[in-house]
Amino acid sequence: MSARACFHCALPVDSRDRFQVEIDGELKSVCCPGCKAVAELIRDTGMSDYYTIRDAPQPGTGRPADDATEWRVFDSDDMLCAFADTSGDGAEATIYVGGMYCAACSWLIETTLAKTAGIQTAEVSPVTHRLRVSWYPEITGLGGILASLANLGYKPQPLAPESSARPEVAEQRTALKRLLVASLGMMQVMMFAVGLYAGDFQGMDAETQRFLRIVSLIVTTPVVFYSARPFFAGAWRGIVSRMPGMDLPVAIAIAAAFLGSTYTTIISGPAVWFDSVVMFVFFLTLGRFLEMRARHRSIDRSTALSTLLPNTVTRIDGDRQTTVAASQLLVDDLVLVKPGESMPADGILVEGTTMVDEALLTGEAEPCPKSAGDDVVAGSINLDGSIRIRVEKTGSDTTLGTITRMSERARYARPAFVQLSDRIASYIVIAILFIAAAVATYWYINAPDRAFIITLSVLVVTCPCALALATPAAFAAAGSRLSELHLLVTNGNAIEVMSKATRVLFDKTGTLTRGAPVIVSTRVFDDAFDATQCRNIAAALETVSTHPVANAFTVSGNEVIANEQRIEPGEGVAGTIAGYRWRLGRHAYVTGGVSNAAEGDGYTSVYLGTDGRAVARFDIHDEIRTDAASTLSTLRSMGLSLALVSGDNKQAVQQVAGELQVSDFHFGCTPEDKLGIIRSAQKAGETVVMVGDGINDAPVLAGADVSIAPVHGALLAQTSADVILVGDALQPLQLGILLSRQTMRVVRQNLSWAIVYNAIALPMAALGFVPPWAAAIGMSASSLIVVLNSLRLSRFGAP
Amino acid sequence: MNIIYVLIPLALLLLGGAVWAFFWAVGNGQFDDLDTPAVRVILDDDKKPPEKPGS
Repeated sequence: MSARACFHCALPVDSRDRFQVEIDGELKSVCCPGCKAVAELIRDTGMSDYYTIRDAPQPGTGRPADDATEWRVFDSDDMLCAFADTSGDGAEATIYVGGMYCAACSWLIETTLAKTAGIQTAEVSPVTHRLRVSWYPEITGLGGILASLANLGYKPQPLAPESSARPEVAEQRTALKRLLVASLGMMQVMMFAVGLYAGDFQGMDAETQRFLRIVSLIVTTPVVFYSARPFFAGAWRGIVSRMPGMDLPVAIAIAAAFLGSTYTTIISGPAVWFDSVVMFVFFLTLGRFLEMRARHRSIDRSTALSTLLPNTVTRIDGDRQTTVAASQLLVDDLVLVKPGESMPADGILVEGTTMVDEALLTGEAEPCPKSAGDDVVAGSINLDGSIRIRVEKTGSDTTLGTITRMSERARYARPAFVQLSDRIASYIVIAILFIAAAVATYWYINAPDRAFIITLSVLVVTCPCALALATPAAFAAAGSRLSELHLLVTNGNAIEVMSKATRVLFDKTGTLTRGAPVIVSTRVFDDAFDATQCRNIAAALETVSTHPVANAFTVSGNEVIANEQRIEPGEGVAGTIAGYRWRLGRHAYVTGGVSNAAEGDGYTSVYLGTDGRAVARFDIHDEIRTDAASTLSTLRSMGLSLALVSGDNKQAVQQVAGELQVSDFHFGCTPEDKLGIIRSAQKAGETVVMVGDGINDAPVLAGADVSIAPVHGALLAQTSADVILVGDALQPLQLGILLSRQTMRVVRQNLSWAIVYNAIALPMAALGFVPPWAAAIGMSASSLIVVLNSLRLSRFGAP
Repeated sequence: MNIIYVLIPLALLLLGGAVWAFFWAVGNGQFDDLDTPAVRVILDDDKKPPEKPGS
């Protein structure tokens, strides 16, 4: 990590120390006025302890939003009805808090809100990132609460009351109850077991022994029937689906030991194993609980949907327009969608014509025209016209909802590697059942009184939990650590492939550079136009483009309007202005011929032309990201070969490549060229990681073994990239690759440990050297070792 | 040793009471946040902001 990191958000600070904040008597450098404001706010409200107690932030966390959202909209009574429950004394609402990452965040939010006038209670759940707040609406508005969250650098999003019940909370509550019953039951039964063992040594009258056994039975019963229920359910599912998992031998062992002990209690037989049963159930339940917590932490699933849909919509009731929550829309509502807004629901366009950006859904970068009668889908962006739509589907029924569910399922779907180890585990389970049967038969013939207890030990000791946990535990820990490092893994196989990577290809614009280009010079070749005119024409053409270069052209109050715009991916845009067909893009595209134009020194040159001749040239410069050089040199020191592929001209690419010391660079690449470069590297046996925003090269991302896209890229990239890089820093890349390598190391360690353990424990148990209680400890310990070894990954790279 | 016939059932009753109390607390959402309470005690809620120079 760079020594010059922003005190608040950990992004690199420029060398001039333009922004500084005094905290606890020390002058700290911050990167921008936004961070300065947040840090001063935190200091002035007496909360500067936040900085000492929080986990190390990942670069870019907690930066205030660039665009000041108008929160006052939420102060209206309409909004209060939409988002708050006003049935009680005051109002109560649930707010999703984006950007939270550790326990100190929830402390900061709760304490800050508690000091705000009019707020009764504020509770933040770090599991679901939800704030539950109740307040007096007469004193402060919902907008005020949202604004104070935004001032702290979080991204609040009010949620409709219905959606506040989260499945994670219910799951955690049930798991806690099961764990508590198992642990209390274990403590009690162990206590009685000590009495029973003592009785075995120093004698105990039959009646007391019987009493202690009955009491143990009473306490064990809820442990078996309540705490261990998930294992029986899992075993049954395994039988039904003919894929017996590790739950099956667990369930058989628990059931056999419990029924056997109950039987000996009734007939006053020689021994009971209630202590083994409760211990076994307790350790397994504890393991499941830890696994569940890791899973809940890994990724907040609600973000994808909620950030794409608008918070509020304008509903048309007759001749009145009311602002309501998007979640309150009903089928057949009439909604007004202004230019720049996204569709709140699936519906039919009833009035107006517009261009709609559906890149998110169709992968088609080009906006498509819509007029009355056409379907529109939720999440697509209305580009130019003001339209009215009639709602047909809302919420999770929409196309977007379906896609989100599908990508959620993909995220939860187990990667091929894990599936393989699952399948192996199920063969092992069948093998164990056969071995147990063979052991039982052997001992039944030779020593019938020991047959049951030895078979039980075999079943318990060989439980392939460690084997089954070896891979998923490591992947779950790695996944949650990666998301803390601002890399969201959308494809489960990405971690494994990333660990094998030998070559990393970088796109230039928006990846190695900031993606916020500026025009440094304009040269006009035609005397009929001046520079301002050319810029306005270019700006009008670029309105439809999502390419980062388009940002450079934005002109406020532009009166020139272009029609029939077309985007040629990798080439440029065309459009009709005042009857003339204009083109903006590479020289060859604009002139329709060979490119022989002089390029600007180290700049990206974009040409504007009509009738096949260039009218003006814009030289555009895009600053290199501050941590690009250090990240690339670290990647190189990790043994990766780096290359730069870009559609830009030679000078611009050469300059960036020179600054970053990348000797292998390709310029003027079309998406096909880039794909060709990837293919030839793959043919040479290399595993290729492509880092790019995928704006006009989605197939390039798909062609690489692993694709990583910075989140600032077009939405298209988010849907096709395997890994999404959140935030402005590139540095997570190197940690991500190191982490993926470490993950595969941990998986191998786990697997070898599980195999060695079973290879030693099984013969010992089959020979009758292991009593059931020792088997339970051995099995639990081997699983715990695997889990703990995997959990090392969740602290990877932390200081 | 006959006292155990009274004490152990009594212990089981207490155990049942403890489980009930815990279930009630979980149902009330008191255990929904397992991370923040651990750090809350070591934080001062009323740290004085520094004097602003020139204001």
